[in-house]
Amino acid sequence: MYRGKSITELRELLDKKEITGEELFEKAITLAHFFQDDYNSFVTILEQTKVKESDSMLNGIPYSLKDNFSTRGILTTSSSNILKDYVPVYDATVYKKLKKAGALLVGKTVLDELAMGGTGTTGHTGVVKNPWDKERMIGGSSAGSAASVALGIVPFSIGSDTGDSVRKPAAFGGIVGFKPTYGRISRYGLFAFASSLDHVAIMTRNVKDAAIVTDVLKGKDPLDMVTIESEKENYADMLDQEVKGKKLFYIKEVCGKNIYQTSEDAMLKETIQKFHETLEECKKLGFTIEEVSVEKALLEALYPAYMCISCAEATSNNANLTGVQFGTRKEGNTVEEMMLHTRTEGFSELIKRRFVLGSYILQKENQEKLFLNACRVRRMIVDQINTFFQTYDGMIAPCSGGVAPSFDSTSEKLSDRYLILENHMVIGNFGGFPSITIPYGMIQNLPIGLNITGRVKEDAQVLNMAYQIEKITGMKNIYAKVGDIDV
Amino acid sequence: MIEKEKLKKYAHLLMFDMEEKEYETLQEEFEIILKQMELIEKIPNIKKVSPMTFPFINEDAQLREDEVGDYLTVSEVLENAKYQVQDQVKVPKVVDSDV
Repeated sequence: MYRGKSITELRELLDKKEITGEELFEKAITLAHFFQDDYNSFVTILEQTKVKESDSMLNGIPYSLKDNFSTRGILTTSSSNILKDYVPVYDATVYKKLKKAGALLVGKTVLDELAMGGTGTTGHTGVVKNPWDKERMIGGSSAGSAASVALGIVPFSIGSDTGDSVRKPAAFGGIVGFKPTYGRISRYGLFAFASSLDHVAIMTRNVKDAAIVTDVLKGKDPLDMVTIESEKENYADMLDQEVKGKKLFYIKEVCGKNIYQTSEDAMLKETIQKFHETLEECKKLGFTIEEVSVEKALLEALYPAYMCISCAEATSNNANLTGVQFGTRKEGNTVEEMMLHTRTEGFSELIKRRFVLGSYILQKENQEKLFLNACRVRRMIVDQINTFFQTYDGMIAPCSGGVAPSFDSTSEKLSDRYLILENHMVIGNFGGFPSITIPYGMIQNLPIGLNITGRVKEDAQVLNMAYQIEKITGMKNIYAKVGDIDV
Repeated sequence: MIEKEKLKKYAHLLMFDMEEKEYETLQEEFEIILKQMELIEKIPNIKKVSPMTFPFINEDAQLREDEVGDYLTVSEVLENAKYQVQDQVKVPKVVDSDV
């Protein structure tokens, strides 16, 4: 039986020669095709693979890759009509490293168009559905990656995380989402969204697997100037370290025990209650956990600051999508007219709205008031968190105020819950902090996730703490056991 | 409410256009977005803070040697261009014939 097995379990089967890489690949694509109509995880499902010799832990292990990573000779659309026929001529560093390790690419996964969104509903090939409940979204933008892991099709997937695009869908899918320190993994060949916030991130069904994949991908790359030197030691070998005496904090204004007491939202209350019950269990492991307070006005400004910075950077990064050298080109009598038609027809309405916002923010008269003030908010919150990190080893919080939303749900965009609780994980991108989501419980048979964020470059410690907490959640290696298929 | 004409200007600066109805949706969205943006201005003493444009100083970053590395061939570069002529990307005429 392949479905739902972890990297470690599959490694053992491969090493014992009880199964081959080719057989694992066949099983993975069988599952991928079986679930495609119902959940829409993939833009492209590959037809064949080539197993190679390698002593990597990932040799012969199937995986999926978000469709915004460049893969030579394989369609790469970024889930946008403007790139619907684009076949890259070069490989992203991440893909190159996985090929060298002998990992087997099963398919390219659906994302919110150009990675700009958090719902999994805006890709050009349709909506991605949550494996735990088809009436609900899986979240985004790494929607197909999350669904492919949560369905048990592959043991790991590679996504990208600019605001919480791996960690949030991981929470809604009941899986692990790990965004290492900014620059830990090369972004060469990842289509840029907001360069100062973009991270490569990993989805698995347990923390050890996330460490194993990070070990293969980490390292400096001359093709991405923000990459940092990495330890030679494997993170996967440092997971058993003692956590007794480690100190965690949570922010009262994000998830304090009593702040939502007057809310009529029972789901929200239950999520917060379960979070605090988990904190009590963590204390039994030896963690010290304390509440800290942050100015509410600063937390309320996180999401608008993120929108300002990300939309402004995205506007600039996507200026190369003109249809001239590549992309779906439309006709026009002049170069300008041709570009206008290409971009008008190539982008969906949502993306255009984000770009107009970016354009507005970058207008000379708005730069000081909007863009630079957003960058000031960024510094204020990062400085504040770094001050806490002088006393504490990590920050802990629920990823959301509840389970995955249904497709017809709406959010009150000016409420504290939306501005703070639903968007606080952007702190990890603002500061480049290593940050991991793990499942910590179920509500109405749907998973909820918690997030642990640590000091810059202390990825090993974040993984170590998450690994120990995972032991008490009873949620390790879960996946949605839907579909009548035995593979 | 932000004027529709202004939104059109910003869209055209980015080389795309939208349907009239889409501009109206955007106008409504801007109402909320601008209110969210006002939250930033409420933060006391924000002007005294230096803007942050990247997460942290990367002490490992160095200029690499100016050496020839891997590069794409002309045919690879042109592989995704829809129109080509003489190893170049073909675009609509940019110079009038009577000039």
